[in-house]
Amino acid sequence: MSYNKSTMKKLIIIPAFNEEVNIERTVENIKKDAPGFDYVIINDCSTDSTRKICEEKGYRVVNLPINLGIGGAVQTGYKYALRHDYDVVVQVDGDGQHDPKYLEMMFDELCDKELDMVIGSRFIAKEGFQSSMIRRVGIIYFTKLIKLLTGVTITDPTSGLRMVNRKVIEMFVKDYPKDYPEPESVVAIIKRGCDVREIPVIMKQRQGGVSSISPFKSVYYMIKVTLAIVIEKIR
Amino acid sequence: MMTIRLQIIVVVLMILSFVFIINLVRKKQIELKYALMWLIVGGIVLVMDCVPKLMDVLAAQLGIASPVNMLFFLGFCFSLVIIFILTIVVSRLSVRIKNLAQEIALYEKDE
Repeated sequence: MSYNKSTMKKLIIIPAFNEEVNIERTVENIKKDAPGFDYVIINDCSTDSTRKICEEKGYRVVNLPINLGIGGAVQTGYKYALRHDYDVVVQVDGDGQHDPKYLEMMFDELCDKELDMVIGSRFIAKEGFQSSMIRRVGIIYFTKLIKLLTGVTITDPTSGLRMVNRKVIEMFVKDYPKDYPEPESVVAIIKRGCDVREIPVIMKQRQGGVSSISPFKSVYYMIKVTLAIVIEKIR
Repeated sequence: MMTIRLQIIVVVLMILSFVFIINLVRKKQIELKYALMWLIVGGIVLVMDCVPKLMDVLAAQLGIASPVNMLFFLGFCFSLVIIFILTIVVSRLSVRIKNLAQEIALYEKDE
């Protein structure tokens, strides 16, 4: 596949559930630091004023009529991208953890190395917010598991900061996991012959709102994602 | 052994259940597709009730000492099957609902 960087249409998907505290800053940062990208907010039926803020500010927002969870919301963004003929999609979380200044770097990496997915990883440069100890253990476990099953090393398989090309957009439109989608979907596309690589990024600690994974759910999370990855491998 | 009294009670209960289920189908409150398996179960219970000998033969064939135990066992197995089928149905529905919600949201945006 050959890339013509200047004519490619690039979209940022911002999944947002109850992000009234962060959404404005997230979008303004994107406008400032990633001007070459279009964006669309997927409002996952927020119960706070996320929708109101977006509409008052005139942001481009897709409002889901029912809460679908992170997977369903992000997939809505991929469907939007396909319908509006975008060539590249990147997911940036609505909570301000991801710095949009990395997007151009990721885009260059994707095009220059002709990759299918570029992941922004916290754990290559090991700078910035490194997540809690417990979570680090979980993430290392997933890295090892994915390495074992696919032979590919993904240092940050739970990173939401991911850029993909048209081929992967089409795959994700057809099938995208419902909850905790990141590790599972990476395995899915690697298995279908996609080229995935990471670049080092620095992430901030979330600046407000609540994380989608509470400690109580983490055991369920580990088991569910492990099974999902293994099933994905034998599919 | 079942007494005549119990046999009659079961027949009456079964007939009431049939009326109830068929009435729900008639009012379109359950789909015939899903009512069907319950009607079939009712039919089997009715046959067993009217011909108790059948139960003894079946229990002997399956190597279960008492027909009553067999009834519990089969009832349990059947319940599991139905619950599992419902899990499949729920999964399918939830995918469809997700797709519908996404479709509505994207449609509303592009209007």
